[in-house]
Amino acid sequence: MKNPYKVLGIILSIAGAVLAPVFYFFFLSAPLTAVALSAVIIGLASFFLANSRPNISPEACQILLKTGMENTAALLEEIGIRNKAIYLPARMRDGYPQAIVPINDHYTLDNIKDKLPGRLIVRYGPGADDMAIAVTTPGSINLEMLEHIPGPNAYDIESAISYILTGVLDIANSVKVDITGSRVNVEIKNAKMGYEEIWYYYCLGSPLASIAAAISSEALQKPVRIFEEKEQAGKYRIVLEVLA
Amino acid sequence: MRIYNRLIISLAIALSSVNIFLAFLGQDDISIYFIVNAIVYLIITLLYVYLNPRAKFALNSLSAIIFVAFLAVVTMEVIEILK
Repeated sequence: MKNPYKVLGIILSIAGAVLAPVFYFFFLSAPLTAVALSAVIIGLASFFLANSRPNISPEACQILLKTGMENTAALLEEIGIRNKAIYLPARMRDGYPQAIVPINDHYTLDNIKDKLPGRLIVRYGPGADDMAIAVTTPGSINLEMLEHIPGPNAYDIESAISYILTGVLDIANSVKVDITGSRVNVEIKNAKMGYEEIWYYYCLGSPLASIAAAISSEALQKPVRIFEEKEQAGKYRIVLEVLA
Repeated sequence: MRIYNRLIISLAIALSSVNIFLAFLGQDDISIYFIVNAIVYLIITLLYVYLNPRAKFALNSLSAIIFVAFLAVVTMEVIEILK
């Protein structure tokens, strides 16, 4: 039995269930019986939690993530794109949230279309050079895990990012979000994934920033770009730029 | 630290503290210990709102069992007082 929560749960539950009547009937001690009852409660909680852990190992998940990242990075490198991705809300991509990476270095988003076709290479503006590559990011996939779409305020965005990073993926301890003007500042404590100097992270951001950007874009219903991300004094800070 | 570890440690600390406090007060009624332990468990699991849906469902199932036991103990206490 490899699951430590299951082992802990069984040990505590059995020990508590055996000791509770012993303490109550032989030792006539209510406090000791209460300790045994507490052990049963904690043991059952641990046992129930054990069954809610995903069946796929972290190593298998890492392989899948790395495969997707390498493929996208190869595509971007081959074309030679070094622009930052723009995260779009689902309504702009036929109900499926994605990010676009403009091909042209000197691009403007003034005339971005309200609805972009669901293709790999898309025209996002009226100009001949307004072409981009649309890719699915870790953030896009995670949006499906949200129980409801967050509202356009810092509190709702913070709750949604916390739910994904802390509760579902368990890759951070806590998240703080504040919105100032056209910037969304995200502060993540004890992040277990960081930034690497690779092509994929430069264009699409780290998985943490990608999740924050996809959720913010969906909440605000506006395109969002990762402006900056850095690790500072044990905290991971991400600055997102909301594009009008 | 995993969120599950934090939950289990929080429960262990809170339930132990409650038991020590009640023992320090000289409480000798096991039903009082159980009622307070059940309330603490329900409060702590409610505070962990960011758990994934499967974990939340599992904890809610256990909360339901503890809540039923809690109601049974409270009912028995009320009947005892009314006698």
